[in-house]
Amino acid sequence: MSDSLTRAEPVSSEPFAAQGVTITLAPPMARLSLRARDRATLEDLLGRKLPAKIGATAGEIACLGPDEWLLRSAQGAAIPLGEGLPLAVTEISERAVCLIVEGPRAAEVLMAGCPLDLELFASGRATRTIFETVEIILIRSGENRFEVEVWRSFAPWLQLALTTAAAQLR
Amino acid sequence: MSGFRLPQCGRIDRSRPVSFSFDGTVYQGYAGDTLASALLANGVMLLGRSFKYHRPRGVLGAGSEEPNALVSVTRGPGRFTPNLRATGVEIYGGLTASSQNRWPSLKTDLGAINDRLGMFLPAGFYNKTFMWPRSFWERLYEPAIRRMAGLGEAPTEIDPDHYGATYAHCDLLIVGAGPAGIDAALEASATSKRVILIDEQDEPGGGALADPALWPWLEESLKDLAAAPNITVLSRTTAFGYYHDNFIGAVERLTDHLPHPAAGLREKLWRIRAGEVILAQGAIERPLVFAGNDVPGVMLASAARTFLHRYGVAVGKRVALMAAHDSGWLDIFALARAGVAVAGIIDVRESVAAPLLTEAEQLGLTIHLGHSVIDVHGRLAVKGVTIARNNGAAAARLACDALLMAGGWTPSVHLWSHSKGSLAWRDELGAYVPDRANEQTRCVGACSGKWNFGSGLVLDALPTPRDPARIKAFVDFQNDVTARDIRLAVREGFKSIEHIKRYTTTGMATDQGKTSNLNGLQIASTALGLPVVDIGLTTFRPPYTPQTFGALAGHAKDALFQPTRKTTIDGWAEENGAVFELVAQWRRARYFPKAGEDMHAAVNRECRAVRASVGIFDASTLGKIEVVGPDAAEFLNRMYTNPWKALEPGRCRYGLLLKEDGFITDDGVSARLAPDRFHLTTTTGGAARVLNMMEDYLQTEWPDLNVWLTSTTEQWAVIALQGPLARKLLEPLVSGIDLSEQAFPHMAIREGTICGVPTRLFRVSFTGELGFEINVPAAYGRALWERLMADGAAYDITPYGTETMHVLRAEKGFIIVGQDTDGTVTPYDAGLDWAVGKKKPDFVGKRSLARPDIAAAGRKQLVGLLTDDPADVLEEGAQIVADPAQAIPMTMLGHVTSSYWSETLGRSIAFALVAGGQGRLGETLHIPMPDKVVTAKVSGMVFYDPAGARLNV
Amino acid sequence: MLLIHCPYCDEQRAELEFAYAGEAHIARPDDPAAMSDEDWQYYLFVRANPRGRHHERWRHTHGCGRFFNAVRDTLSDKFEVTYKAGEPRR
Repeated sequence: MSDSLTRAEPVSSEPFAAQGVTITLAPPMARLSLRARDRATLEDLLGRKLPAKIGATAGEIACLGPDEWLLRSAQGAAIPLGEGLPLAVTEISERAVCLIVEGPRAAEVLMAGCPLDLELFASGRATRTIFETVEIILIRSGENRFEVEVWRSFAPWLQLALTTAAAQLR
Repeated sequence: MSGFRLPQCGRIDRSRPVSFSFDGTVYQGYAGDTLASALLANGVMLLGRSFKYHRPRGVLGAGSEEPNALVSVTRGPGRFTPNLRATGVEIYGGLTASSQNRWPSLKTDLGAINDRLGMFLPAGFYNKTFMWPRSFWERLYEPAIRRMAGLGEAPTEIDPDHYGATYAHCDLLIVGAGPAGIDAALEASATSKRVILIDEQDEPGGGALADPALWPWLEESLKDLAAAPNITVLSRTTAFGYYHDNFIGAVERLTDHLPHPAAGLREKLWRIRAGEVILAQGAIERPLVFAGNDVPGVMLASAARTFLHRYGVAVGKRVALMAAHDSGWLDIFALARAGVAVAGIIDVRESVAAPLLTEAEQLGLTIHLGHSVIDVHGRLAVKGVTIARNNGAAAARLACDALLMAGGWTPSVHLWSHSKGSLAWRDELGAYVPDRANEQTRCVGACSGKWNFGSGLVLDALPTPRDPARIKAFVDFQNDVTARDIRLAVREGFKSIEHIKRYTTTGMATDQGKTSNLNGLQIASTALGLPVVDIGLTTFRPPYTPQTFGALAGHAKDALFQPTRKTTIDGWAEENGAVFELVAQWRRARYFPKAGEDMHAAVNRECRAVRASVGIFDASTLGKIEVVGPDAAEFLNRMYTNPWKALEPGRCRYGLLLKEDGFITDDGVSARLAPDRFHLTTTTGGAARVLNMMEDYLQTEWPDLNVWLTSTTEQWAVIALQGPLARKLLEPLVSGIDLSEQAFPHMAIREGTICGVPTRLFRVSFTGELGFEINVPAAYGRALWERLMADGAAYDITPYGTETMHVLRAEKGFIIVGQDTDGTVTPYDAGLDWAVGKKKPDFVGKRSLARPDIAAAGRKQLVGLLTDDPADVLEEGAQIVADPAQAIPMTMLGHVTSSYWSETLGRSIAFALVAGGQGRLGETLHIPMPDKVVTAKVSGMVFYDPAGARLNV
Repeated sequence: MLLIHCPYCDEQRAELEFAYAGEAHIARPDDPAAMSDEDWQYYLFVRANPRGRHHERWRHTHGCGRFFNAVRDTLSDKFEVTYKAGEPRR
């Protein structure tokens, strides 16, 4: 993005490994908040299908609320802003970072502070929820892989909480 | 020596001897012993002193119901735990335990004078006696009483241990791994349910651990449970509370039973959500109420059986039984069969079931039916008992060194009661049993009132020929409440058990009356001549047993106590010596002292730099909301006090947000980026609140509006460049934006790039100087800051913090919502009339501005204050009066909200909320302080450059 | 900690994800300027606070973000039903 300015991440990108789980900072990605009362207006704008059910994902897009979708992509795709249309596209690429919690004991680590029943949280699901007092978006991107989106100023706390919980596994 | 280890029986591991110390003396026990069983095996009967009378006390029970044997355990510096029940402390090599509430020693305790004075320490004694003079209470009575009374010492050092926490989910949670709980788990093992079975003891089994006949079954069952993939068994785990919707709190003790230092977490908090809960908590045996029932060596019959079968310990060499229930007979038979001499069976009943009599005769035991113990001999240990016929005749003395009590059984309904399940009284049990459930839960086994221990007689106290007013027959052992105290409370007019409890403190100790509640109820019932159900039942509340603060805090300590939010530039501030302050959860740089500078010197230098050249400030914490959609302007017009529809894209406006009650709740400068897109800012602390309030209106009042709100606080790093040289510094770095005054005036926004990174560049000023707020994607904030610092060196660029920001804004008369306002200030009170769109038909809070009280004269209004002595800097919060000579209490006119030394003006400045303030311009007011009265004149709020000449350049 | 059924997510979620938002079905008047001081005061400050069945608002703040309505018994703390904002009073 810039020739002269370098990025700074809020947490170390050094992976953390414990018995049965690794915690890694995901590379930067583009994020957009997509909002519309009528899903079709967004689908027309983007030229792609959106998941209909809250909590579902379709490829790069997760449905977080009745009128809210989160698009995350590795490459920043140019998305039209849809000026004047009854919808909202908002750039939030740098609002959050993503911690990837992966391994057979990943769910156990997350349940240290997340009240969801992750055994019943199927692969492919995504939801906004909470880890102790910190809001997160949790995406299960594989049987043993969770992606945790967290606002950048909370990321150091969450990374410490997750690595502490992982180190405490017996 | 009264107790001893039996050669054969018990579940202890005799191949693993363990040495430990109690009150400095080293003893031997075996792996599997509790501190109580190991001390009893060593003949130690005296374990503590009671709360109020300092009476010698031994072990009453064998489990978590134990009220007497409270000890302290030290595991090294900071690892001191008081008030542990010796019956639950597992011994390990090097365990260091001590007794409590005694001085100078357990055997010779001077506090025991209270016991001699016991006649003068009835229920309510402290409330009745230490009434006057009033001043003596804090200085004399309370400290003295505190020293005399009480449990163990509170630890004074920081706890170095680590604690964990987790949530867990299951379809079925079973609390209690006795036979009933294990049966329930076995039944569920054949299903696909996720099952958690928790038990507070070191091994599952509950009552079965004290019944060798059940051991083969237990071993088989535990094997089956271990093999079942759907069952998790948690031992050493106490379910301490049952909360809404089958949410159960439990603490697992991980290392307290291991020699220290032990690796890993000390305890772990389990927050369990269960589909269904089965409570299998068993029942607790009831003591009997008679004179001397607290002498060390008097204990529950079931406890004696547990010590025998589980730990291989005889609680005495010659043991007597005082029974009102069949179960005690079975317990003493077990002791007799193990070779313990029996001094006799005393049963208050005139007749008992024939099989019991037959078995007692076969074992050669002496039986005294229709008798009661009326006195216990010995002070530090039982030496014998006096028994009498129930009609008082024919007293006899039996020599013994332990006396077992069998008073019947109380179902453990604690968690059931937490869940708000109802209870039903059962006369034949003399106890409350679970009735109607309030959650998806049921009780099984003894805690449901179903047991096979036989039957018994329910009575309040044993008959005695002695004057009941002159004997100490204990009901609540831990709080030293006697039957006499409860009868006294009734005589003094207390009728409800809730009142009797609070007056006598019965049931209010750390054991919550596990062994005493029902005896207390029965005594009150008899004294009042009312059935028990008419007296009520006290409420059980969590925790079931005391838990450590560490366990409840879990991982929420030290760095994990709560998040400290840091901006992307925070690291630079830290490396450059910033002093920080917390604002909401954010850590913000307050000032940047150079060597030798205090806060005032640093702030003065920072202020001078902004006014003279250029200052740089991290404003990233400001709340930001992107408002997008065709109805964006309409929405803002309804929310804010001022008009928004006509604001042109590329321009900014100050927005003032009221609550519907008309009071200021937030403010900020916002920009229109496009016809359908606004970039709002809020105060740092108000960000979440404002977004929530706006979402509320949008979703529930105006759901027809096509507009959406997104928090972008953390998307952008914001760097404020403020000062006359700001443009010079910025110009070479920016492309795509003409920075000239004509092209880019004050209160405008432009989009372009800075150092190749996209920016939303605001031309705004919270300082009164030419200023820019540079928004860049957060990841680039620090790099841009460093670039500006490097390039700005030529202009003497100076980083400044929140303190300087506050001074500079005050010089310009800008308020801080939450500091200069307090939730009772309207725009008119704050002098912000200009920000109210009077032609707008409606906005949030408008109608309230016309309420009579809001429009009334004499309201507190924000004004400036200039002290007569320019060197006097008022204290924020100081009260203001018109006449300092008036009598105290004075009539307060208001208070100082902001006050600073203004380096720019060479004098102090202040804001104040003053009654009728805007009508008092020029008036002298007085601020009485402890050492002097400060005088000040009411002024306008803009102290510097009122025409704004420095802005539009 | 309560379990609350979010009518938008159609799931029971932990109370931690939610925020209470006061009594339900108190609509902002269409024309506040036309209201008497007394009626406005009633709208602003007076709430039913019943013992028993209470209509109230919650927000699934740390979830789908939606405000919704609920009927909860203030004695037992139990939810009777939750329903979407804008739906008729239950």
